[in-house]
Amino acid sequence: MTNSLGDIQKSKAIIIFGSNPAVNHPVGFQHFLKAKERNNAQIIVIDPRFTKTAAKADIYAQIRPGTDIPFMYGMLNIIFKNGWEDKEYTDARVFGMDKIREEAAKWTPEVVADVTGVPAEKLIQITNIYAKNRPGTLIWAMGLTQHTIGTSNTRMAPILQLALGNMGKAGGGTNILRGHDNVQGATDMGCLSDSLPGYYGLAEGSWKYFAKQWGVDYEYLVAQFKDASWMTKTGFSLARWWAGVQNVKTDEKIENAGTFLKALIVMGNGITSVAQQAKIKEGLDNLDLLVLADPFVNEAAILTDKKDNVFILPAATQFETSGYVVATNRSAQWRYKVVEPLYESKPDQEIMFELAKRLGFYEQYTKGMLMVETPEGKLAMKDKKAFTWPEDATDEIARIIKTIGLTGWTAERIKKHTDNWHMFDEVTGAGMGPMKGEFYGLPWPCWTKTHGGSPNLYDTSIPVSQGGMGFRNNFGLEKDGVNLLAEKGSFPKGSKIETGHAEVTKANIEAVLGITLTEAEKAAMGANWKVDNSNLIVQKCMEAGVCPYGNAKARAIVWNFPDHIPMHREPLHSPRTDLVAKYPAYADKANHFRVMTKYISVQSAKDYAKEFPINMVTGRLVTMNGAGIENRASKYIAALTPEMFCNIHPDLAHTHGIKNGAMMWVHSPEGTKIKVKAKYSLSVLPDMVFMPFHFAGYFQGTDRTGNFPAGTKPYASGESVNTVTNYGYDIITQIPETKGGLCRIEKA
Amino acid sequence: MENSTARALATTVGRRSFLKMAAVASVFGATSGFASGNVTRAATDAEVKNPFPGSKKVKTICTSCSVGCGVIAEVQNGVWVRQEVAQDHPISLGGHCCKGADMIDMVKSEVRLKYPMVKENGQWKRLSWDDALNRIATKLAELKKNDGADSVQFLGSAKMSNEQAYYFRKFAAFFGTNNTDHQARI
Repeated sequence: MTNSLGDIQKSKAIIIFGSNPAVNHPVGFQHFLKAKERNNAQIIVIDPRFTKTAAKADIYAQIRPGTDIPFMYGMLNIIFKNGWEDKEYTDARVFGMDKIREEAAKWTPEVVADVTGVPAEKLIQITNIYAKNRPGTLIWAMGLTQHTIGTSNTRMAPILQLALGNMGKAGGGTNILRGHDNVQGATDMGCLSDSLPGYYGLAEGSWKYFAKQWGVDYEYLVAQFKDASWMTKTGFSLARWWAGVQNVKTDEKIENAGTFLKALIVMGNGITSVAQQAKIKEGLDNLDLLVLADPFVNEAAILTDKKDNVFILPAATQFETSGYVVATNRSAQWRYKVVEPLYESKPDQEIMFELAKRLGFYEQYTKGMLMVETPEGKLAMKDKKAFTWPEDATDEIARIIKTIGLTGWTAERIKKHTDNWHMFDEVTGAGMGPMKGEFYGLPWPCWTKTHGGSPNLYDTSIPVSQGGMGFRNNFGLEKDGVNLLAEKGSFPKGSKIETGHAEVTKANIEAVLGITLTEAEKAAMGANWKVDNSNLIVQKCMEAGVCPYGNAKARAIVWNFPDHIPMHREPLHSPRTDLVAKYPAYADKANHFRVMTKYISVQSAKDYAKEFPINMVTGRLVTMNGAGIENRASKYIAALTPEMFCNIHPDLAHTHGIKNGAMMWVHSPEGTKIKVKAKYSLSVLPDMVFMPFHFAGYFQGTDRTGNFPAGTKPYASGESVNTVTNYGYDIITQIPETKGGLCRIEKA
Repeated sequence: MENSTARALATTVGRRSFLKMAAVASVFGATSGFASGNVTRAATDAEVKNPFPGSKKVKTICTSCSVGCGVIAEVQNGVWVRQEVAQDHPISLGGHCCKGADMIDMVKSEVRLKYPMVKENGQWKRLSWDDALNRIATKLAELKKNDGADSVQFLGSAKMSNEQAYYFRKFAAFFGTNNTDHQARI
């Protein structure tokens, strides 16, 4: 999220793609409704399903799943044709908008209508409203990301915002509503197979930086891996780890350091809510060791037929430990411990520490908590023998993660914000009284231990010291002779440099900032702002009103991606076979997160729409989150949505003889099926169905809840819709394509 | 489905009453040993006003979604007895959805996993933490030695705190593999 929920109250138009905040973020949605009250903000919803958010919209477009790129190019077509773009803004701050203009010219309202199913008049009306009510905010969630072209979708949306000059403005921005409470934070912390914490990546230099910050030799870390080459290679992802397990039937080649996966260690992850459940089950069944640590029984334990070496460990809830979480707007909040862990449960960190002790690396693993930076740019040991959890870990993170500006996120400051949450403005997040000069939760980048956080990313109307910044310089100074830095006159308010500039390094700091360093400063300073233990580079930048990461242009062209600009590609299982030839999927990709991943070979294998003519969309219910076990373990919540169901249009149901409340089968092109209760609904079109993804416990018509240990069965169980969501994964991130699949239905 | 939902809604009361019911239930739970015969009486005004004398109120954060709503947890003698919305929280502004209003059940649910268990010959067996950790660590060490650290996959969580998530990633690094991921991928 570039801005914040409160900031949406400043929007004059709100356009929502593939997100249903009225249901999925109900309390956050009040800020949307307040925007309507304050500014008469126009709410525009683009969604295949008439959601509860759509019910609150001023205008709604029912789009065919997977066609957001054509829709947005259609908007740009109209914007460029009428000269509604913010030319001054794009000239100064965007690279490659001309290429976007060329592609947009192809997407006339009529072409868009054919591909998306949205009438041309509606597209024109929506574009009119959105372009003429600025600032406008663009919201998305997993309806935009869970596609084979998810990454392109997430590039297209900011491009639309850039064209209108809506990025880096209060009331504007691209505001992605995260799912779980700490998706933002856990991602920042690099709980990922393609990066170390803080988006430092996996390059050798990054490993060396972390080895130093963790107080161990780089060679010590290398010795833990098969060899150094495997440190820099992306690991398996949550989406497709199962393909690496021995004896799982697949023709997709893996490249995993010469071994199969034999053990799976899961902490707090509802893997029964991930696509391809039948393959996940096969993966689970064939492991040597399965460890599941959760406050409730992870339903993977009852899905598998594995008979031995399945360990279920009672993890404490987040209310039985403490630490900080990062809300969807990059704000940190301290989650105070409410009670001590109940029964025999242990907080996650204790489980990790206990395992580390037994594996012989506990001392090395925890040493970073006892280290501090000195003003001389050195690392020293704290004056104490034992660490305090979580505060010493909080401060370790603040010390090391400089890429996104976590330097100011000390345990002391985050607690002070939570203690004083009543002292902040609901719209701007600005602090009052003792919190003056700081924004609620110190939204990152929070450059120094006195910086107040950055409420809106890329906002040049305020000084860097108050959260201002341009776009990041991360991809060189020029491309094909075109300047990649911001043009003259585009800079954060009060900056000493009134034009674009490179990210600041020890080598260029004197030239860029026009200063002279003392010998002592030179000796203390790290190579660049991301690895500078002295923090002198950031400090000097703050004094000059300059953003350490530079001041560059946003890229509309990404030359290192398969599609340099976002291009429409039909879902792997498209109901419009006639469009597949014109908008084909990507070539199959070898070694994509260690496993060959199919695109065109699946898409072109057959005309799926003949046998599977119905679009399938999945999503959340207001009563549950994620795999749903936490909420189904509450008897009060479970009573509200006690059964798995399928929203089906009465016209479609009628043609299959399915009565409201009767059971029905949903079949996938992969040959899997689920048995669910039909629930008539006019929120879906007669060529599509909707199902929630929060249920588990049943598998392809069989009740597996007898596998729960006594006394642990939740109050509601049902089929996981992810047993029938189709094969398909994003070309960059490998997120599953669960929002654009096909199915066949029949009366049960 | 519709019928059962309607029934549930008809018999379920408003959010506030439901919280009170949860609180009352816990009081009965704590005193049931003494409850025989006609020992109940009407609560006094003071008791209605302050049913949990000596309790403390803990500010904490909802775990349901990324909005980050404030939660006020009331704790008496180490027991989470009551939950209230945070009227003065700058994001949630006193709001809670049905999930958030029920955070107390994350802790108090009767179907929690209460102790470590292992499946052997298809049967669940209780075991001690020490035993469980020893067996898991032995197997992990053996796999690392024989097949390499990449024979293990770690899946962490977007429900962890930052400190835990960071230490989860760090664990995989010290074990020796990049096979580690979490829900942001989906």
